[in-house]
Amino acid sequence: MSELIKKIIMNYPYFAAFIIFVIGALTVLTRSNLFKKLIGINIMESAIFLMFVAAGNIRGGAVPILSGKNPHTLYINPLPSALMLTGIVVSVSVTAFALALILRLYRSYGTTDLRRIYEMGNEVSE
Amino acid sequence: MLSLIIALFSGAVGGLVVAMIPETKNRLRNYIVLFFAASSTFFTWRTAFMVFAGESVRVAGELGGLAFSLDPDPLGAVFGLIASTLWPFTAVYSFGYMAGKHKQRTFFTFFLMSLTMTLGVAFSGNLIALYLFYELLTFATYPLVIHERSAEAMKAGAKYILYSLSGAGAILIAIVLTYAWSGKLDFSGGPILANSLSPGLNWLLVLFVGGFGVKAAIMPLHRWLPAAMVAPTPVSALLHAVAVVYSGVYGVLRTVYSVFGHELIGQLGIRNILPWIAVITILAGIVIAARQDVLKRRLAYQTVSHLSYILLGAFILNEWGLAGAIFHMISYSTLKITLFFCAGIISEKTGEIKVSKMGGIGRSLPKTMVAFSIATMGMIGMLPLNTFWGKYYLMKGSVGAGKWPLAVVLIISGILNAICFVPVIINAFKGECTKTNGEKGGGVSLMLAPTLVLVIVALLIGLMPGIVWPGVEAVVNWFY
Amino acid sequence: MISAITTNLPVFIIIAPLFVAFVLPTWAQRKRLVENLVISVEILMLLGTCYLASIVLLQKGIPIIYQMGGWSAPWGIELKVGSLGTFFLLTVAIVSLPVALFARGNLTHEVGGKERVARFYVLYLLLIGALGGMALTNDLFNVYVLVEVATLSCCGLVSARNHPRAAKATFTYLILATLGSCLVMGGIGFIYIVTGHLNMGFASQELGRIWQNNPRVVWMAFSFMLVGFGVKSALFPLHVWLPDAHSVAPSPASAILSGLAVKGYLICLLKVLYNVFGFYLMRVYSVHKIMVLVGMVAIISGSISALTQEDLKRRLAFSTVAQVGYIFLGFGLLNTKGLTGTLFYLASHAVIKSTLFLSAGAMLNATGKKNIKDLSGIGRKMPITTAAFTISSLGLIGIPLFSGFVGKWQLLMGSMETGSILPVSVIISGSVLCAAYLFPVIRIAYFGTAPEKDCKDPNLPQKLALIFLSAAIVFLGVIPGSFLELANRAAAELLVLR
Repeated sequence: MSELIKKIIMNYPYFAAFIIFVIGALTVLTRSNLFKKLIGINIMESAIFLMFVAAGNIRGGAVPILSGKNPHTLYINPLPSALMLTGIVVSVSVTAFALALILRLYRSYGTTDLRRIYEMGNEVSE
Repeated sequence: MLSLIIALFSGAVGGLVVAMIPETKNRLRNYIVLFFAASSTFFTWRTAFMVFAGESVRVAGELGGLAFSLDPDPLGAVFGLIASTLWPFTAVYSFGYMAGKHKQRTFFTFFLMSLTMTLGVAFSGNLIALYLFYELLTFATYPLVIHERSAEAMKAGAKYILYSLSGAGAILIAIVLTYAWSGKLDFSGGPILANSLSPGLNWLLVLFVGGFGVKAAIMPLHRWLPAAMVAPTPVSALLHAVAVVYSGVYGVLRTVYSVFGHELIGQLGIRNILPWIAVITILAGIVIAARQDVLKRRLAYQTVSHLSYILLGAFILNEWGLAGAIFHMISYSTLKITLFFCAGIISEKTGEIKVSKMGGIGRSLPKTMVAFSIATMGMIGMLPLNTFWGKYYLMKGSVGAGKWPLAVVLIISGILNAICFVPVIINAFKGECTKTNGEKGGGVSLMLAPTLVLVIVALLIGLMPGIVWPGVEAVVNWFY
Repeated sequence: MISAITTNLPVFIIIAPLFVAFVLPTWAQRKRLVENLVISVEILMLLGTCYLASIVLLQKGIPIIYQMGGWSAPWGIELKVGSLGTFFLLTVAIVSLPVALFARGNLTHEVGGKERVARFYVLYLLLIGALGGMALTNDLFNVYVLVEVATLSCCGLVSARNHPRAAKATFTYLILATLGSCLVMGGIGFIYIVTGHLNMGFASQELGRIWQNNPRVVWMAFSFMLVGFGVKSALFPLHVWLPDAHSVAPSPASAILSGLAVKGYLICLLKVLYNVFGFYLMRVYSVHKIMVLVGMVAIISGSISALTQEDLKRRLAFSTVAQVGYIFLGFGLLNTKGLTGTLFYLASHAVIKSTLFLSAGAMLNATGKKNIKDLSGIGRKMPITTAAFTISSLGLIGIPLFSGFVGKWQLLMGSMETGSILPVSVIISGSVLCAAYLFPVIRIAYFGTAPEKDCKDPNLPQKLALIFLSAAIVFLGVIPGSFLELANRAAAELLVLR
C-alpha cells in the first residue's frame, strides 16, 4: 500500500492528468449542455497536455535555453512542450469552430441543450 | 477456339443489338433474335463436335488477378448443346406468345443475354468462370422473371434473387475452401480435391450441393421456382425448366465429378445420404404437384421432381447412373419445354390457367393436347419416348450400385406422374367444352410449330437412342 | 528547377493542395477560376503520384525516404514514400479528381451561395492535402497534426449546408472526433514516454527492445490508439456520428468523407499498428483477435442497420460502417494475403463509395426527394447516373469482373489461413446482405413506374466524373495488375519482422 502511495506521489503529474482526463471525458459524455460538452473537450485536452509536458521534465534539469556563459549539464526535454504548443493551437481552433456551431444551433433551435435539440429533430426548417 | 467465342458471345452481342432497336419494330427484332440464337446454336454444335472428337477448345486468361478459363469437356458440351439448340425453338415460340404484349425490347434483350450466361456456365473451365457466369445468370434472368411488373411478379423476383444470391454465397465459401485446401481451381487434369482427404470434406460437399441446389431446386431450397411461374410462359419453359435449373444441376454434376471425383465421394461418410435427398425431392415434388390447380405450378413441381432424377443419377456414383443422368437431361428438356409450350397456348387461346377449368379443350385445341399427351407419356417414362432410356439406365445404375430401392422409387415416381397428369388429359378430351377459340390465328402457328417439332424430336430420340448415345458415352468415358 | 521539383516531389504533393487552399479565398468571387484552380491542383497531384508510384514499382518496393528540411531522423520529420504510401496516395488522387469534377455541377445550390463555394473548396483541398500527408508520413506527431487537419476539414465539409441539421450533425461529429484525437494523442504520448522517439522506425526498434519492461504502458498505448482511430473511422460501436454526418453533407463531401477520409484514418491506424508496434506485439497482446471479432460484428450490424434505412444516403452511410468492419477484420489477419486483400479492398471501396454517393446525390438532386421509394423509374431518365450506381453496387457486393471481388477474394484467402472458417462466412454473409440493401434501389430505379415530371439530368462534368469512376471500378476488377502488385508489396513490407 505504501509502495503504491509512494509511486503516486512520485508520479503526481500523471496521476493528476489521469483524473483530469476522466473528469473531462465524463463531462463530454454525460452532460447535455453544448457548452459543457465543449468545456469537457478542453479539459480532456488539458489533461493530455499535462501528461506530455510532465513527461519532458527531468529532475534537476535546467530551462532548455542555451546561454554561452554557464552551460549546464542537464536540460529538460524541450520537445514535448513544443509539441504541446501545436496541441494547444489545435484545441483553440476546435473550440472556436464548436462555438460557431453552438451559435448556429442556438439560432435555429433556440436552445443549447443537445437532448432537446435531438427531440426537436426535423421540425425545424432552414 | 473462335467457334467457342462466337457461340458464347452471340447471345450478349445480340442482346445489346436488340436493346438498341426501338420498341415498335417487332419484325426486325424477331429476325435479329432468331439470327443470333441460331448463330449461337450453329457454333455451339461446331464446338461440341470438336470436343467430342477429342480436340481441346480452351480459352484461358486472367481476370482480376485470378485464373479464368473456358474449356468445355463433354459434359459442358452436352449442356451447351441442350441449351443452345432449344433456344431458337423458344425464340420462335416467344414471337407468337409475346406478339402484342408490352416491353418486348426488355424481354428479348435479356432473353439473349441469358443465353450467353447459360453457355458461359456450360463452357466454364474452372471454378472462377463457373461462379462468374452463375452469378451473372441470376442477374440476366431477373428482369425476365419480373416481366409482368405486377406485385406478385416483384415478390417472385425478390424471392428469386434472395435464394439465388444466398446459394451463390455458399458456393463462394466452398470455392474458397477448395482453393485453400488444394490450390487448384481448374477442371482439367483430374478432380481438384483428388489427393486431399480431410475431415471437412463432408461439409464442403454439403456447401457445394446446397449452393448449387438452390438453382437445381432441391427441396427445401426449391421455393423460388413455383413463385417464378408468374413470368411469361417462354421464360418458365426455357429458363426455369431448362436453362437456369440445368445450371444448378450442372453445378452439382461438376462438384461430384470434377471437384471431388466419384472415387473421393465414395469414401466420404455422406455418400449414403445423398441419393435419399434426391429421392425425397422426387417423391415430394410430384405429390405436391398433384395438389396444384394452376397448370403452370403443377408443371413447376413436376420440374422439381424430375431434376432430382438427374441428381440421383449423379449421386449413384457409377457409369450407368451417370449415363442415365445425361440421357435424362437431354430427353427431359425437350418434353418439359413442350409441356410448358402447351400450357402457354392454352392460356393464350382460352385464357384458362387452372386445370379444373380445362375440360374439353382437347376438342378445341387438338394438336396442342396431343402434344401434351405424348409429352406426359414421356414424363411417365414410357416407350416410345426418349425419357424411357434415361430411366432405364438410372434403374440399371441403381441396381448395379446395390441400391435397388432407388429403382423402385423411380417406378413409383412414374406412376405418380401418371396419376398427376392423365386425369388432366382425359378431362381435356372428354369433359364439357368450355371455350371454343380453336387453333386459328398467325400467332398460334408460331407457338404450335416448335411444340410439334420438339415432340417429334423426342419421339425420334426415343425410337433411335443411338442419335444421342455418342454424346452420353463421351461424357461417361471422360469421367470413368 | 525540374530536378528541384522531382527531388522534393513528396513534399510538393502534400503542400500543393494546402497552398492552393490558403490562396483560394482571395478569388472567392470568381467561381470559375476557383473551380479551375482546384481541378488543376488535382491533376498535378495525380501526375505526381503516378510518377512516384512508377519509381517505387521500378525500385522493387524499396522506399524513398525524404527528410523534411534536410534534417535527418530522429531530429527531423521523415516522409517514407514506399509501397503503402504510394498505394494510398494513388487512391486519394484517383478518387479526389472525379469528385472535384463532379462538384462543379450542383455545388452552388447545395452549399447555398456562390461565395460559399470557394470556402467549400478550401476545406476540400485541406482534406486532400492532409490525406496525402497521412499516406506518406513516418512520424507519429505528424500523424496527429494531419489527423487534426483532416478532422477539422471534415467537420467543415459536413456543415457546408445551411441547414440546422447540418450544424447538429457537425457538432456531434466534432465532439466525438476530438475525443478520438485526444485518445490518439494520449497513445502517442505513451509511446513517446516509453521509447523516447517519435519517428516510427526508431520507435518500433526501441519498443521491440523495452516492451517487456513496460507491458502495461504498451497495452494502454494499443487501446488508446485503437479506440481513438476507431471513433474517427466509425468502427462499430463508435460509429454513431457517421449516419447523420454523411447523410447531411453535400454529395461531393459525402463521397470524399465516406470514401477517403475514413480510409485515411484507417491507413494511419495501419501504420501505427504494423510499423510502430509490429505484428509480433500485436499477437502478444491478442490485438489481432479483437480486431477480427470487432470487424465481424461491424460487418453484420452495419449491413443489418443499412437494411432498415429508408433514406438513401443514410443507407449508404451505414454501408460504410459495414465496409470499415471488413477492413478492420483484414487488419487483424496478420498474413500477406489478408493484408493485400484489405488494402485493395480499401482502395476499391474508396472508388465504389464515392461513385455510390455521387450518383445517389445526382439522383436525389434531380427528384428533390430523400427516400429510396421516391426514386422510382429514374433509371430511364438518368441512364448514365443509374448505370454508375448499378456498376458500383455490383462492385460493392463483390461480383467477379468488378474491383470489389478482387479485394474480397484475397481477404477470403487470408481469412482461410487463420484456420477458422468464421471470418469467411461472415464476409460472404456481408456480401449477401449488401446485395439485400443495394438491390432494391436498383430495382426501383430501373423497374419502377416512371416519374411524371422531367428530372434534371446531371451536366457534362458530372457525367464525366461518374463515367471515370465506373470505368475505374471495372478496370481494377479485370486488370488489377500493378495496383495489386503495389498492395502486395505494401503488405509484405508491413509484415517484416523487426
